[in-house]
Amino acid sequence: MNRRKQTRRAFASIAALALVVSATARLGRAQLGSMDAPAKPRAYVVYAAEPQSVPAGRSSLLELRFQIVAGFHINSHTPKSQFLIPTTLTLQPATGVKPGALQYPAGQIYSFPSVPGDKLDVYAGSFTLRLPVVATPGDHAIAATLRYQACDSASCYPPRTIPVNVVFTAK
Amino acid sequence: MAAGIALVVWSGWQNLRQRRSAMQEQQQRRVDLVPNAAANGSSDGQSPLQGKPAPAFTLLDLNGKNVSLSDFKGRPLLINFWGTYCAPCMVEMPWLQEFSRKYAPDGLAVVGITYDSEVGRDAIARTTEKLGVTYPILLSTPKAEKDYLSGTEALPISFYIDREGKIIEVSAGLGSKDVLESLVKETIAAGGK
Repeated sequence: MNRRKQTRRAFASIAALALVVSATARLGRAQLGSMDAPAKPRAYVVYAAEPQSVPAGRSSLLELRFQIVAGFHINSHTPKSQFLIPTTLTLQPATGVKPGALQYPAGQIYSFPSVPGDKLDVYAGSFTLRLPVVATPGDHAIAATLRYQACDSASCYPPRTIPVNVVFTAK
Repeated sequence: MAAGIALVVWSGWQNLRQRRSAMQEQQQRRVDLVPNAAANGSSDGQSPLQGKPAPAFTLLDLNGKNVSLSDFKGRPLLINFWGTYCAPCMVEMPWLQEFSRKYAPDGLAVVGITYDSEVGRDAIARTTEKLGVTYPILLSTPKAEKDYLSGTEALPISFYIDREGKIIEVSAGLGSKDVLESLVKETIAAGGK
C-alpha cells in the first residue's frame, strides 16, 4: 500500500515538474516572442479618442489628438514637396452636426540626416486637429478617416488610413 | 524516476532549441524590421538575399513592355525599389541616374521598381520625368515584392547584383551618395569581367 502511495506521489511529482518545465518553456518562448515584436509597427499614428462636451447650437471647437509612434514622423497637411502625401482627415456626414473647415496645425521642419539641405514639413510626436462644429443637443459621433504617410530617419512606409470616431455631447 | 529525469532533460533541451530558433529568426528579420540599421547604405551582411542569386522576374515597364532579370545577364545591375510617396527615394534617384550614365561604359545597368504600382503609370511617369530619371522603371508585383523584400515595406531598398547574377550587397534606407557610389563600384568590380 505504502509502495503504491509512493509510486503515485512520484508520478504526481513528475507530472507537476513536467507542467512547470513546460510552462517555463512556453514563458521563455513568449518572452522571446515579444523580443521578436516588429520594430516596424502596423500603425504609426494612434488617435486618442476623448469624449468631449460643447454648447449646443453654437459654434464650438472639437479637438482631435493624435500620437505618432516614437522615431517616426508623418507629412504635415502641407508638405513642401508635390510628391508627398499630405495628412488629411476626411469626415462623413453626421446627423445633427454641421462641421466647419478643419484646422490643421503647422508642421515642423525636418531633414533626413544624410541630406540636411532638403527640408520637409512634418508632424512628429503628437498633433491636434481642430474641428469647428455646430451641433443639436445630444450625443453625437462623427465617423472619419485619417490618411497619412510615415517615415523614420532613413526610410518611408506606404500610406495608411485609420478610422477615427469623434464622439462628443452637445448640451 | 529515470523517466522523470529524462523528461526534465528533454524539456530543457526543447526550451533551449526554441530559444535558439527564435533568436535566429530575429537576427534574420533584423534587416527588414530595422531599416536604420542599414541606413549607412550597407546591410552588414544581414540580408537573407545577400550572396544568393537574384530572384528572377519579368515585370512591365511604363510602356507596357516586359522586362526580365535575364535581359541584364552578364552586366552589373542595381535594382532600386522605390515609391512615389517616398521622400528619401526622391533624393536617391537622381544619384542613381547619375551613376547609370557615369558607369554605363563599365556595363552598369540601373532599374527602378515601383512599390506603389497602383498609383498608375501616368503618375509614376510624371514623377520620374520630374526627377530626370531615364533608366527603366518597372511596375512591381506581389511576387517580386515577396521575392526581394521578404515582407518589409521600408523604402528605399537597393540590390547590387554582380555580372554573375549574385546579390553582393543590399542597401536599405537613405544612405550617403558616396556610400552608394562605392557599392556601385564594388558591384562593377565583382563577378569578373
